[in-house]
Amino acid sequence: MSKPGEILLDKVTKKFGAITAVDSVDQVIEGGSYCCMIGPSGCGKSTLLRMIAGHETLSSGRILIGGNDVTTMRTGERGTALMFQDYALFPHLNLANNVGFSLKIHGVGKAERQERALEMLERVQLAQFANRMPSELSGGQRQRVALARALIMNPQVLLLDEPLSALDEFLRLKMRVELKRLQDDLGITFIHVTHTQPEAIALADKVIVMDHGIIEQAAHPRVIYDQPHSPYIARFMGGQNVVTGTVIKAGSERIVAEAADGAKFDFATKREVAVGEAIRFSVRRDKIHVVPRAEQDINAMQGEVANVEYQGTFVKVGLNTRQDDEFIIYMDDRAYFENPLNVGDSVISEWLAEDVCHLLGENNSSGD
Amino acid sequence: MAHGSKSGRGLTFYLLTIFFVLFILFLYGPMIAIFILSFQGETGGMTFPMRGVSTHWFNDLFASTRYGDLAGSFKRSIMLGAIAMLITVVVSFFAGLAFRRRFFGSGPVFYLAIISLVMPGILVSLGIGQMFQTMGIRPHWLVSGLGAHLSWTLPFGLLIMFAVLNRFDSSWEEAARDAGASPIGVLRYVTLPILYPGLIAVALFGLTLSYDEFPRSLLAVGTKNTLPIHIATLTSNVTTPALYAIGTLTTALSLGLIVLAFGAIGASQRRHKK
Amino acid sequence: MNKTIISWLQVLPMATILIAFVGIPLATVVSLSFWTFDGLEYYPDFTFENYTKVFSSWVTWKIFFNTIRYAVITWAIALVIGFTVSYYLVFHVRNLKIQIALFLLCTIPFWTSTVIRMISWIPFLGREGLFNNALMSAGFVDQPLEFLLFSDFAVILTYVNLFTLFMIVPIFNAMVKINPNVIEAALDAGASQIQILWNVIIPLTRTGIALGTIFVMTLVMGDFFIVRVMSGGQSTSVVSAMKNNIDQLFYPQAAAMAVLLIAVVVFMVSAILRVVDVRAELAK
Repeated sequence: MSKPGEILLDKVTKKFGAITAVDSVDQVIEGGSYCCMIGPSGCGKSTLLRMIAGHETLSSGRILIGGNDVTTMRTGERGTALMFQDYALFPHLNLANNVGFSLKIHGVGKAERQERALEMLERVQLAQFANRMPSELSGGQRQRVALARALIMNPQVLLLDEPLSALDEFLRLKMRVELKRLQDDLGITFIHVTHTQPEAIALADKVIVMDHGIIEQAAHPRVIYDQPHSPYIARFMGGQNVVTGTVIKAGSERIVAEAADGAKFDFATKREVAVGEAIRFSVRRDKIHVVPRAEQDINAMQGEVANVEYQGTFVKVGLNTRQDDEFIIYMDDRAYFENPLNVGDSVISEWLAEDVCHLLGENNSSGD
Repeated sequence: MAHGSKSGRGLTFYLLTIFFVLFILFLYGPMIAIFILSFQGETGGMTFPMRGVSTHWFNDLFASTRYGDLAGSFKRSIMLGAIAMLITVVVSFFAGLAFRRRFFGSGPVFYLAIISLVMPGILVSLGIGQMFQTMGIRPHWLVSGLGAHLSWTLPFGLLIMFAVLNRFDSSWEEAARDAGASPIGVLRYVTLPILYPGLIAVALFGLTLSYDEFPRSLLAVGTKNTLPIHIATLTSNVTTPALYAIGTLTTALSLGLIVLAFGAIGASQRRHKK
Repeated sequence: MNKTIISWLQVLPMATILIAFVGIPLATVVSLSFWTFDGLEYYPDFTFENYTKVFSSWVTWKIFFNTIRYAVITWAIALVIGFTVSYYLVFHVRNLKIQIALFLLCTIPFWTSTVIRMISWIPFLGREGLFNNALMSAGFVDQPLEFLLFSDFAVILTYVNLFTLFMIVPIFNAMVKINPNVIEAALDAGASQIQILWNVIIPLTRTGIALGTIFVMTLVMGDFFIVRVMSGGQSTSVVSAMKNNIDQLFYPQAAAMAVLLIAVVVFMVSAILRVVDVRAELAK
């Protein structure tokens, strides 16, 4: 028996003419979890969300919610509620009627409708505006009304299509906390589509990274961030340097690779590789240290400073290497300013083997 | 000019204001003149000066038989207008919804509407009359006449629906479906209420364009005239201010309809705001 | 249900009515132009005679020329007035409510009878009309001006009076959509008012001008009543000549002229539509 709110995607495919927007996606989203779907625009995340909501029909495959096959079920009957990107509040109805709209459609009497809508508005702290029209609200207030409207029928699954994208930075951070708190309170499944990495990492129990209609990686945000599956994930999620190298020593579960500039990397792997094979791996930018002298000739690199950017809590130093990707170090700000660097300085950097991750996936796109 | 908020009122502004006022005078002056002249005294003529003020010419319209079947043609025009309005609203509404996306066949229908709009009315009229003759059906104001009017009101209705739907966000309909509304429920609770002011505009166009339509009906109404055709024939044989009295009455009716329609649109928008 | 099928069902009533009362009637006119007329009645017997008659008569060419002359003069005046009025309303009237009110003031006559508005000029233009009285009492002229009523002047004046609003509405609509930032950017780039008008505003109101042109041109070319009444029967346009033919029951010949006119109108409109994609612009 599956939990209520569990979503099972079974070879879900959507084609628009010759274009495949979602390509045979398999995935289980646990009931009661907070799941974020992320990827560049056109990656298929919104289409997938709309198929779960029932606003797009599947070209092939199945969708199960709480164990029920809802593939051909009408939207509004599958226990989902969608919160629209631009909120889509009805301009001709006041807040109470907007929130109570589903109840009206389901034949709930006027008095009860009003009462339950007010209750829900109370929950989002807007009860005093029940008789206002949407046009009289601020962006943040509209967002909360949209949330209240989506939740009125007690859905098993709340689908949120870029719910914070229309808000300014300050409000966005505030509402992010609110969303998480609400999901904790309600204990229902949230599926949240976003294009902002920090948002996904901050909120999700599970992050699904998509590209070109397929799921590149689906895992806990910590796994996604620390052990990216492919160069694409490493670049898209950020915080990693992607390096290409040739295997010079292949042991069991441990390899040494050499980059184009001669730097040697020693790290663990889960895949068999052969000497001479070209591979890609990533190094956590915030785990790299600038040192006066290298302890060993492995897991260290000499480079010329190409640029320096102060970021507030850390300093971003870019090194010139013979790679396509820049080699970037996030230095502790105190440490940096004790010994500031100039563009053109030659520095030696060093890191630990455990901060290197072998990128097994093939997707090498830049993620934009 | 452009960003008036910063610059002061320059010479251009005053020149353009004078131009605009002159244009408005040019637009309304003649109408105001015949409005005044329709109250011409009994002995007065079709031009100024006024020889007294009276409602003689209005009374004459109702009393005299000189003006033919004025009442009958008026009744027919009102009836045609009402029917054309209803059909225009319903048909343009659905066609407008369809035209939100391109589909096979949308191009030809759109161009047919444009052709109907730009074709000299009398050609459409000639064609409709001839088509009925070929089919062996006598033209009748309620059949061929109505068709002629629709060929004029529907393209306008469609163009207004385009403008109205520009500001319609189809995610409102999706939100209603998401709430479990059936296609009819979506139409009833969301699409129609939101588009209501636009539909009044379509109705206003349908009614007034039909009520004032003249060249398209000319050869298509059969033996019974509509009011504009009747007035057109009167222009050549009535040489008294009675002609202006008719003009005043029918213009007043049109203006009344406009006020009514704008009132309804205004009221619905106030309801939206408050 | 398939989305295309739903669209078809939605557009079906419109398509049916337009085919029945525009498509087939125009086809009927075209076929009628090939019928034979023996002086008493006309019957379906294929002939080119109607066209030969129409084409070979120099009167036809004169009438066509006259019609196009009316259309071009009216169009030019309406364009200048329509553009100036829209420009004033959009860029010089700052209060949005007043702007909308003044715009409506320009469009209200659209909903009233053209026949009545035409008649309204008679008390102005006649020998004893307001103009002549005013001119004479001011001492500008000794004798009433004869050319005012029943002349080309009266015809064009009435056309401009009736049809200019068809130019104002589309140009105004195009102008209000211009993003004020674009004009600020032009000012920033050092453009003068005239340069902004020429390089920014006019190109951005192109669609409106095109739509207005279509309306005004086709309205003038389709008129027979105004030219007949306001010229006092002295002047003829294509459609008024056609109407004469119809009144004398020369249907096939009228149809041949009609087809010629349709060709001219369709050519003109499609030429304009080729330059601007009206449907795409309408959807903006």
